[in-house]
Amino acid sequence: MTRLQRSRALRWLCTLATLAALVVVLFPVYAVVVGSFESTDTLFSGNYYWLPHAATLDNYRTVIQAQSGNVLTSLIVGLGTALLALVVAVPAAYALAKYRLKVTVVIVSALLVAQIVPSIVLATSLFIIFHWVHLVNTYPGLIIADGTYAIPFAILVLRAFFFGLPNEVMQAARVDGASEWQTFRRIVVPLARSAVITVAVFSFLNGWGDFIFALTVLNGTNIVPITLGIYTYLGNYSTDWGAVMASAAFAIVPAAVMLVIAQRYIASGLTAGSVVG
Amino acid sequence: MAQADTAGEVGARALPADAGRQAGSAPPARARRGMTTWRRQRLAGSLFLAPAILYLLFAFALPIIYNVILSFENSSPATISSLTAPFAGFANYRFILDDPTSRQAIVHTFEFTAGSLVGQFVIGFAMALLFTLRFPGRAIGRTLIIVPWLLPLIVTGVIFKFLFQLEGGAVNQLLMNVGLAHRPIDWLDDPHLALLTALIANIWLGVPFFVLLLYSALQEVPVEVKEAALMDGAGPWQRLRLIIVPIILPVIEVTLLLGFVFTVKVFDLIIALTGGGPANVSQLITTWSYNLSFQQFSFGEGAALNNVLLVLALICSPLYLLLSRGSLRRSSGEGK
Repeated sequence: MTRLQRSRALRWLCTLATLAALVVVLFPVYAVVVGSFESTDTLFSGNYYWLPHAATLDNYRTVIQAQSGNVLTSLIVGLGTALLALVVAVPAAYALAKYRLKVTVVIVSALLVAQIVPSIVLATSLFIIFHWVHLVNTYPGLIIADGTYAIPFAILVLRAFFFGLPNEVMQAARVDGASEWQTFRRIVVPLARSAVITVAVFSFLNGWGDFIFALTVLNGTNIVPITLGIYTYLGNYSTDWGAVMASAAFAIVPAAVMLVIAQRYIASGLTAGSVVG
Repeated sequence: MAQADTAGEVGARALPADAGRQAGSAPPARARRGMTTWRRQRLAGSLFLAPAILYLLFAFALPIIYNVILSFENSSPATISSLTAPFAGFANYRFILDDPTSRQAIVHTFEFTAGSLVGQFVIGFAMALLFTLRFPGRAIGRTLIIVPWLLPLIVTGVIFKFLFQLEGGAVNQLLMNVGLAHRPIDWLDDPHLALLTALIANIWLGVPFFVLLLYSALQEVPVEVKEAALMDGAGPWQRLRLIIVPIILPVIEVTLLLGFVFTVKVFDLIIALTGGGPANVSQLITTWSYNLSFQQFSFGEGAALNNVLLVLALICSPLYLLLSRGSLRRSSGEGK
């Protein structure tokens, strides 16, 4: 084999390896979509069909009836989490990046450590604390709990962004007589738009995809996010797989849409958040 | 950094400059306008930070402290509404040490975490290296590799439960079709396999994170360094081991650390996939703590186990803070 032939063969081998990896990565999503269109008979036949077999919309009919309200609930929770995260994180990140406060080191350390705290630790206590302050089974309660995923991350990512903002920009606004709040509101926030959008998307997805807090701080039937709705389908012996797959498809769609929209921010946002801290 | 300071990094930095200009005058009189501006700015900064501090106190500090209190109490369904319960001493911790399921959950958490990290790192690093080569399809591969993130965790668990089913599961079907298994494997209900199945699902879930972080680190390795090594006649393995790995080591450390933190937290996946079963063999600390607190209503025992988990997770926090020191140093104004 000549050098050229060998390097060409090597390139195709790389393509093949990537293809194999993508099959493994994408197959579960494919299986959800195909499964959501299969009839109960097919799903319980004891055979797995690699291609759609006797497609039907029955599952979607069932799920739209049973889960529409839950999808709405998840939207409220996701939007609420995003809103809370922005209200808390944007000014805090600005303060931590641009003001020399004595508490900065303490707060930044606390945020780094907060990202490490497992949710179950918080959930157990929050359940009882929420009982005490009447937040069990309420939207604000669930949103405050879901903020524990979003807020530390949001502050650290936004802070990394604000470091890149030249001080001259704020200085110019101050010279023009703008108050600290006006400078923040009219100058800084608009400049940080892309970072703010990224953080909002991440926070929405945290609220949308949350399961552990929905499972613990909600214990009624009046507020049921889609994640909890899917979980209740998982019976021990007779899981209605068609309904599970159709609701899973519902749970994936908005997340996928938002991630595609925000895709170019994600890699940079994530690396900034985790490596730069 | 020095430039940024003179350009007007607000607050304390402004003070020495003002003080210098006013040298000789008494402290109260110096730079009156400067002082008020500085105070006003410090007040504004504090107000900007206030909601975050309140949130951290209510949603992190309070629950963590309360969890400690709870772990020394003898709570029951009747005590939930009253915030305090009879003092129990170390009874809950003694229970955790004696309870076979709790001990097994702790051991399994270690095994699960170690297995996940090894699998995620090896596969993730290999793929990150693959994507640094030039070949048709690498761009689309790099984009689509993040798909596991599109899915809420509970959905991932549900899908893997579907794929690993005993009868009619895609995995068994594939293994039997290619002749690797003669009869269906009971991935989810065989006590020897349930945790392994969860491990496979978790590796699938975590690989994209490793690929993304390691790939972006590999992109930062200067081309000249790689070329110089090539000129010196270093083979691919030598280049990797002696040149590339040492350069990206800091990122590898952070990635593994974050991977550790993510993995000790795993909950949704197990609940959906195996529910901790069969016979509690796939319970991890998180899921067993949930079981103790929310299904057996022994909040004290659950809280004690939570503290074991918290200590385990926080063991890495000094390391994490050390690795994030660039960010912290920036906050204390030393600069890089």
